[in-house]
Amino acid sequence: MGHSSPPPVTISLDHLPPSRRTGFRGFMHKLNQQRALVWMSVPFLIWLFIFKYLPIWGWTIAFQDFKPARKLLDQQWVGLKHFHFLFQDEHFLRVMRNTLAMSFINLVLGFVTAITLAILLNELRQIMFKRVVQTVSYLPHFISWVVAASIISTALSADGGIINEVLMWLGLIKEPILWLGEGSYFWGILGASEVWKNVGWNTIIYLAAMTMIDPSQYEAAEMDGAGRFQRIWHVTLPGLKPVFIILLIMNIGNLLESGFEPQYLLGNGMNVDYSENLDIFVLKYGIQMGNFSLSIAAGMFKTVVSFILLFSANHIAKRLGEERLF
Amino acid sequence: MTSKRFGIITLVMVMMASMIAACSGSSGKEPASGDSKEKVTFTYFNATAGRDINTNETRIGKILEDQTGVNWKLEHLVGDSNTKIGTFIASNDYPDVIVPDGTIDKLLDAGAFIPLNDLIDKYGPNIKRVYGPYYNLMKAEDGNIYFLPLSAVVGDYLPAPNLEQGAFWVQRRVLKEAGYPKIKTLDEYLALIRNYAKKHADEGLTGYLALTTQDRFYALTNAPMHLAGYPNDGGTIIDMKTHRATDYGDMEITKRYLKELNQLNVEGLFDKSSFVDNYDQYLAKLTSGKVLGFFDYRWQAGQALNNLQEASKQSGNDDMEYIGLPVVYDQNIKDQYIDPSSFVNNRGIGITVSAKDPVRIIKFFDNLLTDENQILSNWGIKGETYDVDKKGRFYRTEEQIKQTGQDAFRESFGFKYFEYSWPRYGSGSTLPDGNSVGPGRQPEVARMSYTEGDKKLLKVYGVESFSQMFSAPDERPWYPAWSIPIAQGSTAQLFQQKKGDLQRKYFPRLVLSAPEQFDAIWNEYTTEFNKLDVKAYEELITKEVAKKIENPGKK
Repeated sequence: MGHSSPPPVTISLDHLPPSRRTGFRGFMHKLNQQRALVWMSVPFLIWLFIFKYLPIWGWTIAFQDFKPARKLLDQQWVGLKHFHFLFQDEHFLRVMRNTLAMSFINLVLGFVTAITLAILLNELRQIMFKRVVQTVSYLPHFISWVVAASIISTALSADGGIINEVLMWLGLIKEPILWLGEGSYFWGILGASEVWKNVGWNTIIYLAAMTMIDPSQYEAAEMDGAGRFQRIWHVTLPGLKPVFIILLIMNIGNLLESGFEPQYLLGNGMNVDYSENLDIFVLKYGIQMGNFSLSIAAGMFKTVVSFILLFSANHIAKRLGEERLF
Repeated sequence: MTSKRFGIITLVMVMMASMIAACSGSSGKEPASGDSKEKVTFTYFNATAGRDINTNETRIGKILEDQTGVNWKLEHLVGDSNTKIGTFIASNDYPDVIVPDGTIDKLLDAGAFIPLNDLIDKYGPNIKRVYGPYYNLMKAEDGNIYFLPLSAVVGDYLPAPNLEQGAFWVQRRVLKEAGYPKIKTLDEYLALIRNYAKKHADEGLTGYLALTTQDRFYALTNAPMHLAGYPNDGGTIIDMKTHRATDYGDMEITKRYLKELNQLNVEGLFDKSSFVDNYDQYLAKLTSGKVLGFFDYRWQAGQALNNLQEASKQSGNDDMEYIGLPVVYDQNIKDQYIDPSSFVNNRGIGITVSAKDPVRIIKFFDNLLTDENQILSNWGIKGETYDVDKKGRFYRTEEQIKQTGQDAFRESFGFKYFEYSWPRYGSGSTLPDGNSVGPGRQPEVARMSYTEGDKKLLKVYGVESFSQMFSAPDERPWYPAWSIPIAQGSTAQLFQQKKGDLQRKYFPRLVLSAPEQFDAIWNEYTTEFNKLDVKAYEELITKEVAKKIENPGKK
């Protein structure tokens, strides 16, 4: 096979691609060239601006003693008062601890169970069975938390709840345990509930990612004598890594969002030390007391922390040479 | 390049922002129509649970629509009232009329209600007649009236024959087996329960139950106040002589009650799930017939009590029904469970700033406050839901009582929607001819509605109505102190919230702890309690009580 030599490349300044032109003229030129695209994106820009940027104006409320239905100029400005209240309240540390702990448990449990289930499903050869398992496992995702919480508290009930009945039947406990009455059980109950509710749903994205893995890699691995577990270890898991890293970064950004409904609905006076998270704190001391300023201050705090977490996770991923969000 | 791009984006944003600013703020008010009977639908929000409906789908609502042309689209609360009202306020967009129940202060604070003074002067002769005597209690600090309360008594005051307030309830079979003893003290009451539970140990019975879920936690914390011989003044008891308000959260009376519950728990007679059950689970347990006794208010346990009543009417066996007893701590305490006649001035109905036609709404209100329409919304239609005897007394036949007692009928006829949450003659009002405005207080009706079991009980205890088992209420011009408005964001409000949090945390521990730890936990609790600004709260209530004594309503 003979190679034909490439034609010599001559670079002349007159033929610089237009995009390399610098300055305002260059920008306008490019804008003009891509005007169709620009026009198509305008509605979305407007949407983004109205729904994501205009509301930021509301952050001013955090620095006022906000009274609704009063004009901006009539509001009383109080500086950082609400932030002081937030950070100085003795509740706050405990609430933060609960928020982070529950988020972290959900994060770890969520990833481990979803990936495990996805791999198991992927290895199944019996299509019918796979379909049934998948459907059954993601059905709870569609139940509202209000209903789910009722199911959970009934299952955990001390008089005739299924969990206590089973444990007593197995002889593991002597008398029924008041599961929701013991604070230290709460995180575990919540973690298990989240898994029950969301594991099927969370597998979908991993199953999709697995179909993207080139089958020839499996074939090659098989040729090289890799067994099932080795194929999972050396082909499937590395194939999932990009998706995993992206999801991880996004979830780290959401660490302060530990959820609201399950804690609110399953929480009570006896487990409040473990169940009360930031959102419930804000509901109690902000919205229910008509103190919108405090709610906004807490919201700002959450946004800022989430921002920092997201950027640092992304930065670390970048350093490690992994996939990243941006 | 980037900085220029940024500049352009900013420019675009500014332009859009000005566009938006120009668009908003142009929605004016539609002109008010006054006299027309043209059909119109207004919106109405009620911060209690219920079914959403158009009033003209009910009999009463249809008649009122024929009179005024006004139909109401009713919306009821789903979930938490504070959150819902907060959303209204945040959006500054309200239904035409709101009955905000406990969240009225928030709406007043937000300026959600329009002043009614001029409207009443111009269009409300009946409103003036009914509410006139209470004006000084209805006026806000600026002299305006922003809402119409629901408890303005018209005519002579008639006490209720059936128990409507709180009580220590006990199953009838427990009393029956004990031979109908007279129960006065908590010790006697608990002994009754203990004995029965001991004799029927293998029936899976629950001795005593408490309601503690979310907003209903006061059903646990209020009991000591009643045991000590005070009516429901909320978080404080008010001394009859000095008129000082004291928060009893850390007092001996509270400790004693919790200690009794602790003892019950040790004996296995207290339902531990009381502290984790939600309201539905609570009602289900009461209806199950397995619970021997509990403290609660009639209106709160009502659903369960009504179900039991209906079941016993069908079966003819009232063993599972409950009877409310005026239990106190000691023999020498006079019980004060029954509300003194009172004017509740922090509940009511108001017209919002979003209302399109306040004039027609106030005219509708005024039209409701005629004798005829009060009869309509309480008694219904003559010959159908009530009859009148030769002497002009209103009564209901057995058939009518049965029919008007059924929830489904009360909804389709409209009693359920018009009896209470509207401008009305307050409970206990009488018509000029001496008939009671509310059928429930008409002695003829009360007597007629008693079952054989009821009559037997009344006979045994030598009373004519269930409320006669309770002492008559003493005069308390400030009553109810829980209706004293507490300003948003005040220290008193913060105290209430923090106290609630603290009690929700400690009371379950106190009741469920081992008896030898009780005192230690109690000390821990009172230390925490006294760190809170209880003084601010007590002083506020004391001050307002003094104001109410100085400046009473009609009586």
